[in-house]
Amino acid sequence: MIRTLALALTLAGPVAAAVPEVVNEHAMPGFQAFSRATSALADAAAADCTPAALDDSYNAAFDAWLGVAHLQLGPTEAVTHSIAFWPDKRGFVGKTLAGMIADQDPVADDVGGYAEVSAAARGFFALEAMLFDPAFDGYETGSYSCRLVQTIAADLARTATRLETGWAGGFADTLLSAGADNNPVYLSKDEALRALYTQLMAGLEFNAETRLGRPLGTFERPRPTRAEAWRSGRPLRNVELSLKALHGLARTLANGPTPETDAAFAAAADVTANIEDPTFQTIEDPQERLHVEILQQRIQAIRAAVSDEIGDPLGVAAGFNSGDGD
Amino acid sequence: MTTRRGFLASLLAASTLPTLSWADAGSPAFLACAKEADGSYALYGITAGGADTFRIPLPARGHAGAGHPDRPEAVFFARRPGAYALVVDCAIGKVRHRLEPPEGRQFNGHGAFLQEGAILVTSEQMADGSAGRLGIWDADGGYLRIGELSTGGIGPHEVLLMADGRTLAVANGGIRTDATDRTKLNLPDMRPNLAYMTLEDGLVEQVSLQPDLHFNSIRHLATRDDGLLAFAMQWEGPAELAPPLLGLHRRGKPLTLAAAPEGEQVLMQNYAGSIAMNGAGTEIAITSPRGGRVQRFDASGQFIGALARADVCGAATLPDGFLLTDGMGGLLKLSEGRAHPLGLRARAWDNHVVGL
Repeated sequence: MIRTLALALTLAGPVAAAVPEVVNEHAMPGFQAFSRATSALADAAAADCTPAALDDSYNAAFDAWLGVAHLQLGPTEAVTHSIAFWPDKRGFVGKTLAGMIADQDPVADDVGGYAEVSAAARGFFALEAMLFDPAFDGYETGSYSCRLVQTIAADLARTATRLETGWAGGFADTLLSAGADNNPVYLSKDEALRALYTQLMAGLEFNAETRLGRPLGTFERPRPTRAEAWRSGRPLRNVELSLKALHGLARTLANGPTPETDAAFAAAADVTANIEDPTFQTIEDPQERLHVEILQQRIQAIRAAVSDEIGDPLGVAAGFNSGDGD
Repeated sequence: MTTRRGFLASLLAASTLPTLSWADAGSPAFLACAKEADGSYALYGITAGGADTFRIPLPARGHAGAGHPDRPEAVFFARRPGAYALVVDCAIGKVRHRLEPPEGRQFNGHGAFLQEGAILVTSEQMADGSAGRLGIWDADGGYLRIGELSTGGIGPHEVLLMADGRTLAVANGGIRTDATDRTKLNLPDMRPNLAYMTLEDGLVEQVSLQPDLHFNSIRHLATRDDGLLAFAMQWEGPAELAPPLLGLHRRGKPLTLAAAPEGEQVLMQNYAGSIAMNGAGTEIAITSPRGGRVQRFDASGQFIGALARADVCGAATLPDGFLLTDGMGGLLKLSEGRAHPLGLRARAWDNHVVGL
């Protein structure tokens, strides 16, 4: 109790100044990088649509997304689904793409109109299916599938540009002007801070419970093909890059020393090396499973450290109505 | 806030005059329950501009209620499963009556006045089995229980008086709950419906959702002068489906369901907590505290736009838009798609804000 109070006293000043730093040093550079990387992917696809040619630019764009994917605020919220349609519990991605290809749906030649198609046929997971799933990846230059890949990549780049513009041209100001008389989203500076803190905690939870929890399944029934982006070999990479970005957010948000949090992130990074298959496809092996579970526990430990070191001083509590239901 | 002088004057008035008016309660336009920073609970009167007019301590968390059309009197219901409701004199800050449902019945959080405030009806269920009941109370005669009607469904939630002044709309949520808590017992077989009732004839019309939407619990209602009824739903089925959460209905016509575009729809997290019409009757707002989101639709069910606001739930009609309340203490006016902060209080507003 005394320790918490002391932290509150020492952090109250610096923490109040954290929002501009999160916006300017964490969010904005991240959205710029995401926009650049998806434009590069679209350019690469326009030049050569075949899977082998797009491996690098697809991965670079996905990497950039993980730098900002946890910022589910403002303009990001409503477009996330169309960037990363995952988890895809009912296999909508494959079904939707297969339907479009079978029908030779002309929307594949209409980048502007592509924003209207189902989110399952947009973004990284549609691209992953086209580029890495044997059911789709055998297409040739000039084919319908080739044009579809070019359009999915171009549509993704447009979405990323809109996101960058949406943050730069409005939402960044909404966060920065929290508490101003005309700010309809954040009625106090505290609310903006809490919103950012919520992204940090939800991002950690998503890594532990969804990115790792889905392939772990149960001990009796592991679910390797429920791992995120496993066909493109990204399950562990996505967790590592997301944790790196979340650590960056935590440091910027705390705006002061966070030794427990830093140690907890380092402890999670340490155990990733023990995981032999970064695609989690051998998670049925008890030893491998254990290593993934340990990583999951370490991520939960990060949550505890962040809660102690950053959340408590902010006085953040869970929602009154959101946790209730009636 | 009631001053000491005002308070004494009210007391005096109460003893010498037969009736007080809402002006004696500071002319609130809305009522809402809240949890205070110290963990206690209270009922507040709120003006259209968002200012507090009165505060009455409550013994426990409230849910929703109804204001009497003339007297400065409001009935507020305990959270489900509700063992009591309080009739509060908002002018003098005193509990006038404590209502308890008859043996074997539970209040379900909502109620409505009709016949110029002579009658109160309450949404209830049988503790055993959750069969819906509409409780009928003599509001002019000391709130005596004078009867009840079946609502034609399981687990009714909101009840609302339609513009004709005699038809009641009831949201039969369809969920059977444990007799002692809120555990849901029949989700695989739940069958919500919308019921229209009158005190004279009981059930006069009932409409159900299409079979594949039977997991969509109809819970909250809003209506317009011409008889258009809007209802908000909470989805108990597979989370990845993101079905419509808003429905529109007119007596004798089929239902219309309304959803936002896919990427927007999922942000509600399959949950609408409150619903309101704007003053002009041209827009409907539904709120999701889980998604921290308010979505607006036009009266034909076309999506118009959305607003992000953490833990937002309460929604009520303002002449030029909506009043929104949230669990962080915020009060917002939402007008023509733009939100305007009205205040931030050191309390958590509960699920509903009730218009008078």
